[in-house]
Amino acid sequence: MLLATYDLWRFLSENWELLLRGFVRTLQVSAIAIVGSFLIGLFLGAARAHRVPVVSQLAAIYVEVIRNTPILVQIFFLYFGLGQFPATQLDVFTVAWLSITIWGGAFNTENFRAGFEAVPYRFREAGLALGLSRVATFFNVTLPIGGRIALPSSINTYIAVVKNTALLYVIAYEELTTTAFQIQALTLETVEAFTLLGIVYLTLVWSLSIAIRLLESHLALPETR
Amino acid sequence: MTTMPLLLIPEWVGPVWDYMIHVGLPATLKVAAIALSASTLIGITFGTLMTINFLPTRALIRGYIEVWRGVPIIVTLFLVYFAAPSINSALEFSPLTAGTITLTLWGSAQIAEATRGAVRSIPREQHEAASALGFGWIGRHLYVILPQALRRLLPPLVSLLVGIILNTTLIQVIGGTELLETAERSVERLAAPTPPEFTPGDIKAFQIYGAVMVMYFLLTFPLTRLAAYLEKRLV
Repeated sequence: MLLATYDLWRFLSENWELLLRGFVRTLQVSAIAIVGSFLIGLFLGAARAHRVPVVSQLAAIYVEVIRNTPILVQIFFLYFGLGQFPATQLDVFTVAWLSITIWGGAFNTENFRAGFEAVPYRFREAGLALGLSRVATFFNVTLPIGGRIALPSSINTYIAVVKNTALLYVIAYEELTTTAFQIQALTLETVEAFTLLGIVYLTLVWSLSIAIRLLESHLALPETR
Repeated sequence: MTTMPLLLIPEWVGPVWDYMIHVGLPATLKVAAIALSASTLIGITFGTLMTINFLPTRALIRGYIEVWRGVPIIVTLFLVYFAAPSINSALEFSPLTAGTITLTLWGSAQIAEATRGAVRSIPREQHEAASALGFGWIGRHLYVILPQALRRLLPPLVSLLVGIILNTTLIQVIGGTELLETAERSVERLAAPTPPEFTPGDIKAFQIYGAVMVMYFLLTFPLTRLAAYLEKRLV
């Protein structure tokens, strides 16, 4: 029974500097990937909803490929597969944020597409009748309404993005999971390391979803409030 | 098995293909099948129990759902594979078993949440009618409520199967010989120096991981379409 020696506090106080550095990296990659997947989702989602030729079809292929292949294999492909050729070698940090962003972007494209398509066509017609250009109609009518419809599902994607950063362990990018894994490999405090990981990710995911719930009610469409 | 000596297929492909198809793929499918069945069973039970207005069970199941859905699956896998054995040596599992347990924890949490919603969506009259016919709580749910709720559960179940298949790749991280692990070992083997003169091998990561992506796509894309179709037809 190793539980007698279980001491989460000691584990934390002895390794807090390394763990904190890893945690900051987790937040960094998460932040980049959230912003990136928001932008990808916005542009490709709009292209999909408005059936922009070529872009819409390419976006559909991108979405299906990413959603139907394991993100772990995507990371392997970007890091080891492309790493096979000198011209396409990427460093660990680039693969880290890029892989998570590409994944989140695909899911967000689908979220935003559904959101934009849920905006009644007569709203857009009203915008065009008022003399707004198609682009102005998108930014003043479709985006404010459709973006809010897409909010709950895109938020789930951002939470999944944060959790997916843990997978960067496989390319040894030193975020929180990799850091905790390396520490327990030296100190053998296996239970402490992994329960701490669980607690940190749960806290992160839960506080994110609480914060977002608040934002959601703040951004809710006036008639549903 | 003799494969046709096609001119276009290089020599190294044969053994890699055999290894991945005969060792990796069956393991992936087996883990996915067991994890899906166990998740469905546990998830439907927990989800139905959650509809009872008894705070302690509801709080316990809510905790179960939120924890296993909130923690990244790879962390759950580390807990099951690395941490559990040091709590009790009886909890020592092979990589594939640990992976199956992990995916079941995650999958049952997903299904429990979906079941709760599906059971709640059945009108109260159905409960009352079943009670009037003399069904007890178990009989009422087993024979009247759940068969109706299953219609709503079918699309999330198919989506869960897709999620489970994709997430079996995590077992690679702890060395279980599923599809991705057999691919990874093939890449390593081909790249390793060969004994006579120890000339370094060729790196085939691009081709092999590319092929792995295609294989997963072929496995899950039809299921994704099926889930979308069921969603349209049944809900």
